[in-house]
Amino acid sequence: MNGERAETILRLLAEAELRNQLAPDPPPWAGGPGAGRVKVYVVGQALSAVGALDRETVEDVLADFDLAVGLRRLHRARPAITRRAASAARLTAQLSPGRPAPPPNPPGPPPAIQAQWATVAGGGPPESTGSLGPAAPVPADPEQDAADRFVPIGLTVPFHQGGLSGELYLMSFAHTRAGARLIVLWGKPTLSRDHELGLQQAELFPVDLFTVADNRGSAYELDFTPANGSEWISQINLRPVPPDGIRWLEVVAPPGPAVRINLDPASGPPGGEPEVSAANLSAGEQLLIMLAEELLMVAAQNSPAMRPELPALSPRVMQTMGTGLGDIIAALEAVDMLPPLSPVPAQLAALCESLRIDGHEIAAAPADELPEPWLSLLTYYQRRKPDTAQVRDGFAAMTAALPELDGIRLALVGLHNTQGTTVLHVLARGLRREERLGPHGADLDFPLSFWLRDNGGRWHAARPIGWQPTDPEHSIGLMLVPPLPRSTAWVEVLAGGRSGEVRARLPLRWGAPP
Amino acid sequence: VTDSPKGVWFHCLPRCETYLPCGAGRHIVRWEAGELRLLSHPDAEAELVLAALGGEKARCVEVAQAWERHAEDLSVLAIGPRGPADEIAVSWDDVDAEVRASQFGGWTAYAPQAGGRHPGPGSRRGPRPLAPPVPARYQQPMQDREQAARRRNDMLSLLALGYGFQVRLIGQVAEAASGWPREAGEKIRPSLVAAITARLAPVAEEWLGIDPGQVVVTLHRGPGWGSAELIGRGEQRRLRFSLPAGWLALVWAAGLALTGRHLVVAVERAGWPDARVLALRAPGTEPVPLEVHATAPGPASGGLDVRPGAADAPHWEVWEV
Repeated sequence: MNGERAETILRLLAEAELRNQLAPDPPPWAGGPGAGRVKVYVVGQALSAVGALDRETVEDVLADFDLAVGLRRLHRARPAITRRAASAARLTAQLSPGRPAPPPNPPGPPPAIQAQWATVAGGGPPESTGSLGPAAPVPADPEQDAADRFVPIGLTVPFHQGGLSGELYLMSFAHTRAGARLIVLWGKPTLSRDHELGLQQAELFPVDLFTVADNRGSAYELDFTPANGSEWISQINLRPVPPDGIRWLEVVAPPGPAVRINLDPASGPPGGEPEVSAANLSAGEQLLIMLAEELLMVAAQNSPAMRPELPALSPRVMQTMGTGLGDIIAALEAVDMLPPLSPVPAQLAALCESLRIDGHEIAAAPADELPEPWLSLLTYYQRRKPDTAQVRDGFAAMTAALPELDGIRLALVGLHNTQGTTVLHVLARGLRREERLGPHGADLDFPLSFWLRDNGGRWHAARPIGWQPTDPEHSIGLMLVPPLPRSTAWVEVLAGGRSGEVRARLPLRWGAPP
Repeated sequence: VTDSPKGVWFHCLPRCETYLPCGAGRHIVRWEAGELRLLSHPDAEAELVLAALGGEKARCVEVAQAWERHAEDLSVLAIGPRGPADEIAVSWDDVDAEVRASQFGGWTAYAPQAGGRHPGPGSRRGPRPLAPPVPARYQQPMQDREQAARRRNDMLSLLALGYGFQVRLIGQVAEAASGWPREAGEKIRPSLVAAITARLAPVAEEWLGIDPGQVVVTLHRGPGWGSAELIGRGEQRRLRFSLPAGWLALVWAAGLALTGRHLVVAVERAGWPDARVLALRAPGTEPVPLEVHATAPGPASGGLDVRPGAADAPHWEVWEV
């Protein structure tokens, strides 16, 4: 690793941006006010993300850059409004009351990609990509515990006591080195009139009402902990840990009856064995893929169809996310973290073109083809009308233990829909929660590409939105974009790391509420 | 300080003075022969002792301390001017405003400060709130913020001295950096490469009309002045220079970089107002010795508000080839 080279690149970039920003007539590529800082910032983050530069050095360079720019602007008139700032001002003005909304900006992806879209968007579900070839050997995990057990449940435990009624949804049972627990989702409780009037205090998560026992008559102490940082999703840890060989558990809450959980894995819906294929991505390629996926998710969440009331925000957000991509690629190549013949920069360029991001400055010519999941999400972004109906609330039981990728082991333990958002719950081993942010918000603590394809052929990108760090496992909530409709019968999971890619097909067992 | 047969790094620089508001009046601060001198504070050491005991600290003394703190600070190279066209105009009012802002900007407003404060412009005297106990988790961020504020205040004060002082401080930092041991020197190479590039690029633009972004610098170590070559065409054109860190001190800080359409790469005999330099007529050629002579308006003497600006920088002419 050539840290000296990385630092030199960053300092020279800061120098060039200082020159551009302070020029009497800044060149067009200098971007609007602040674009220079964004470039230095994101390139510093990128070099830090691939391990070429420590964060302290990046902060030092940024501190010097900020001071250098700030001092030179002390007595300058406000910077002239650049083309981009003028555009933003115009859009803001258009948002003023009494003004008509701006005409929609029809998307215009490159022709080659349009043709590829047509296959995905207009031709119905695309053909399955089928096998990825012979599965590559999965690296042995010396810590892998043969007792790891994940069982989908998909049952509802109703409860009622003292004017409080509700349901606890059992998504799955997980037994790993970290212990045994039920992954559950609390339904919205119904309160008696006294509760509503505040005459009685309501316990929204009445954990004390529940008891759990096994087929041998052993009862367990229950320890509820929030999962994914949300109390609506909980883990019910069982103490002591159930012995091997128990066949079922019964969960009881007043007034009953008991709900029996069959722990025989064969009792769950059948799912395919994960398929593994080898990969050899450089650290730079992995980072660029994460950036592309972040870009796609932000685009999908800010598409004109999603936010018709805020048309000015989408282009602004997208333009900002494109800033510095060319510099990031150049820096990664210069520190040998990105092979010069890598196809990823061209794909990222094509993605930017498709999203009408014009300030990316990627030197590579846009690729003619994009990965299928990217195209699927682009199609979703470019849809003309918002989804007419929000996906219905509910949860789906599903479990799968994925083979290790880059030292990370993931187990899928269920998903749920609420308020139009789908969250997939995973248990992760081999990760560290350090809240490291990469360029443009990429979550470096979760260095995997993660997608779901539904049985309709649409791809859903996933990124962490909640962590519950516990040692040695993390409970992570992955938000899916777009959300997954309850009509989905099965999904194909695609998880990609630097060393390989895993695909697994999983049936979904949707549960309450109806 | 390098004291080679060719001369010390600052021998091509004349003395330089400015007035600054200090206490109730305005005092002269002078840079001469590589040192900052406080003409109105003949016993600054004693004043520092008094300040430590709770007395007022004179601004002149504060500035001298800031100079000392940053005499080897590579950030000076990243922040300071790139050339006469990049004059950073900071006034003492700006300094006072910044100090006030940092005082009332949060925790720092309540932090106990060593020493008293002088009255007058930028006075920080007056009743201070009692310092509440700071929770441990906020102590590190508070210290970081205090450090950042102090660093910014230092920089503002040093820049407020004017362009003449700014380039001399850059020269001093570069000279100190060129004396670092080899192993430690490798750690600061990126900063030095960026610093030389930042100051050579505008000179090269004036010299050859080349885009500043096409100037590529590496750090030269060892005997000789370094090297220069022009390669490629069009957008691929590159002017490659290898220069030592000392070039910033000996050549650039002295205002010698572009003299008589020659790009000066080294000083053979330092002196003021006459010196002998090695200079390039064109990239790829061997440098030629030039006798050069400097003219300058001289030390600032136009009144209490005069500071040595870029226009007061020495102007060198080729005396004899």
